[in-house]
Amino acid sequence: MANTHNHDGHDHSDGGHEHPAAPMVDEISDFEVLELAVRELSIEKGLFTAEDHRAFSEWNDARSPAAGSRMVAKAWTDPAYRARVFEDPLSASKEVGVDWSEPSGFGTTSDYMHMTVLEDTPTLHHVIVCTLCSCYPRPILGHSPYWYRAPNYRRRIVRWPREVLAEFGLVLPPEVEVRVEDSNAKSRFMVLPVRPEGTDGWTEDQLAEIVTRDTMIGIAMPKPGRTSDGPRPIHKASRPVHSGGRPREAAP
Amino acid sequence: MSASSVDIQEQAPGQYVDLRRIELLESLRNEEQTWAKLAPRWCVTNPDPPWQVCLDATCDALSAGGTLDSLERRHAEDELETVYSTIPNPERQLLALAHIMVSRGLLTEEELALRLSNVRARLEAV
Repeated sequence: MANTHNHDGHDHSDGGHEHPAAPMVDEISDFEVLELAVRELSIEKGLFTAEDHRAFSEWNDARSPAAGSRMVAKAWTDPAYRARVFEDPLSASKEVGVDWSEPSGFGTTSDYMHMTVLEDTPTLHHVIVCTLCSCYPRPILGHSPYWYRAPNYRRRIVRWPREVLAEFGLVLPPEVEVRVEDSNAKSRFMVLPVRPEGTDGWTEDQLAEIVTRDTMIGIAMPKPGRTSDGPRPIHKASRPVHSGGRPREAAP
Repeated sequence: MSASSVDIQEQAPGQYVDLRRIELLESLRNEEQTWAKLAPRWCVTNPDPPWQVCLDATCDALSAGGTLDSLERRHAEDELETVYSTIPNPERQLLALAHIMVSRGLLTEEELALRLSNVRARLEAV
């Protein structure tokens, strides 16, 4: 498809290039400037070093749910690996290229090196949350989606799991038990969903494609043809948050 | 909710962060500058702005250095949700971080204002 761009009244056609450059935002936003200003001042004040920042940036940039997808697909096809996923999830993570001790040698300060993989069955479904804040298995699933961090999800999924799952489009029959696993400051969880029907003979790569982020959080089920999650709504909480997990009178 | 109750709400000190509005950050609270508006304006399809990785790294580095623990920051972000409710994420996360740092005295509003203008001038110098 030939692209034609018009900037300042001048037309620039692709001139037959098969892969036109991806468009970019040619505008410096206040937020881009603010991010840089906060970072530079922090480094100047010695709150962290430029090297620290580079290491965490590279680590963050490399995170995605792909490692989790690979772990699930491998567990579906290799019974010995599946057993390791439950027995020693950190070592099973290494087999799909994720070392939880990176980037500091003892992980990040918010991703404690403890993980549990939750096994779904045809009659048991898991969904994860962090009611306290937004603990999430970042090394293996990448960054948490913003709806996961929102107080609205955190408050309601533990009270009305079936209803909230239905809002995400996942309607579970009454005979399926639902367990909501609440992460805490030192525990991370990931769901290993049931391998769907219609995937016999699939390769690990094919299977990994249908294991999306949402299926490993537990708000969706993998199925043939479903290879992306799409946008999810972020609902506001009607009451503001004034707590931090401990009663006000207990605060120092 | 009446206007007066909103005022009371916003002036209430949070448990983790002072919720009083910060003039400099108020001036940056412009929805038109958010990635949700910028990206479609420039036909860019990345779901997140390029600076988000750097913001997350700043938060991680602040926590690793013992300056601002990640859990405390998340509690403060939750409390600030009402102050920056009109701005989507990740811009809200960034405003909240700047708010927390100013309110805790890690940065002053004046030095941040000066740096903002320096950074912009540098980025626009070509």
